[in-house]
Amino acid sequence: MASEKDLGNSGCRNYEAVLEDYLDGALGADDATAAEQHWQNCASCRNALEQAAASVRILRLAGRSDGPGPAFAPTVMARIRSGEQDRLIERAGFWQPLVRLGWRFAAAATIVLCVLVSYDAGWGRRTQRDIAAVRLNGVSDLFAPDPANAPTNRDEVLMMVAETNHAK
Amino acid sequence: MVASAPALTLPLDRAGKKEEDRELVRLSQNGNEAAFEELVRRHQQRVFALVGGILRRPEDLEDVAQQVFLKAYLGIRRFDQRAAFSTWLYKIAVNECWDYLRKKKVRPLVYEADLSEEQVSRLDGIVSADRPPETASARAETREVLERMLSALPEQDRQLLVLKEMEGFSVQELADILNLNVNTVKVRLFRARGRIMDVYRRRMVSGGKAAGSQSAPGKG
Repeated sequence: MASEKDLGNSGCRNYEAVLEDYLDGALGADDATAAEQHWQNCASCRNALEQAAASVRILRLAGRSDGPGPAFAPTVMARIRSGEQDRLIERAGFWQPLVRLGWRFAAAATIVLCVLVSYDAGWGRRTQRDIAAVRLNGVSDLFAPDPANAPTNRDEVLMMVAETNHAK
Repeated sequence: MVASAPALTLPLDRAGKKEEDRELVRLSQNGNEAAFEELVRRHQQRVFALVGGILRRPEDLEDVAQQVFLKAYLGIRRFDQRAAFSTWLYKIAVNECWDYLRKKKVRPLVYEADLSEEQVSRLDGIVSADRPPETASARAETREVLERMLSALPEQDRQLLVLKEMEGFSVQELADILNLNVNTVKVRLFRARGRIMDVYRRRMVSGGKAAGSQSAPGKG
């Protein structure tokens, strides 16, 4: 509510907001009349109002800026639709990283399994070859007990070991 | 997923643009694309004005404005309609402008504040005529001269004057958009008006026009 006390320049309280409302046509009829009466006696408020009114006149000469063309709304909607598709694809691909990780794990496990199988097969073949070689060369197993000449005491054991080594 | 867009039929007897906006928002929240497209059509002009008023980079204007509507579309289900749709949308636009300027690390395009003698003379002619130019090219020229003059002001003063006087935003809208008290907006606007008139007088004096000549405003 603009009263005589509310108006005025340096000494008038709240004059800027009241003047702005007046320029905007936002003051009620009674308030506007009171303001106009005040300005008849207050030169500083009157000058301020004239300056402000002049600024309104000048700036409004520019007119509003041009809006977008008619293609704007369809373009926005096209972007929205393509964005929706992207989001759908993204949502469908939620498990994709886990699936990819699973495939990598499976591939690694297969490789490890192959290595183990081939190693095991190679080792088995070598062992069979060694046994065959021993049989072919007639080399007796040092640690296989010979029931015919089984040592009966510690000295015989030592003697047998020494003889065997000597023979080699 | 976006629902298929049925033909949009709004009740014609519904009074008020805001009420229609509410209905369009409700439909959009239910996935009606046509309703959202209608919201875009209704608000594109003002979003353009707002973004242009802040950025002053015509080459990026359309891109940023599109981004504003994309964000609005993505967030519309969370919009509770306590504020007007326009207020909510303009806030998105302001935030998008600041984000854009920050990401691009650019400042709003700044015109050289000084006017050439020819521009001062043109401005004097425009003000003397006291009516907007009729042709589009003359309007563009007028706007350029006035924007050059406005460049002499602090950025916030410039934005307030452009949005209020050139683009027609109300004090209440500006307060809502910029998160300011209504009275603060009024006071800032009023002070900005004083500053722009100081700039105007200085330009006219430096351009060889006597301050307070017949064509100078502020006397009527």
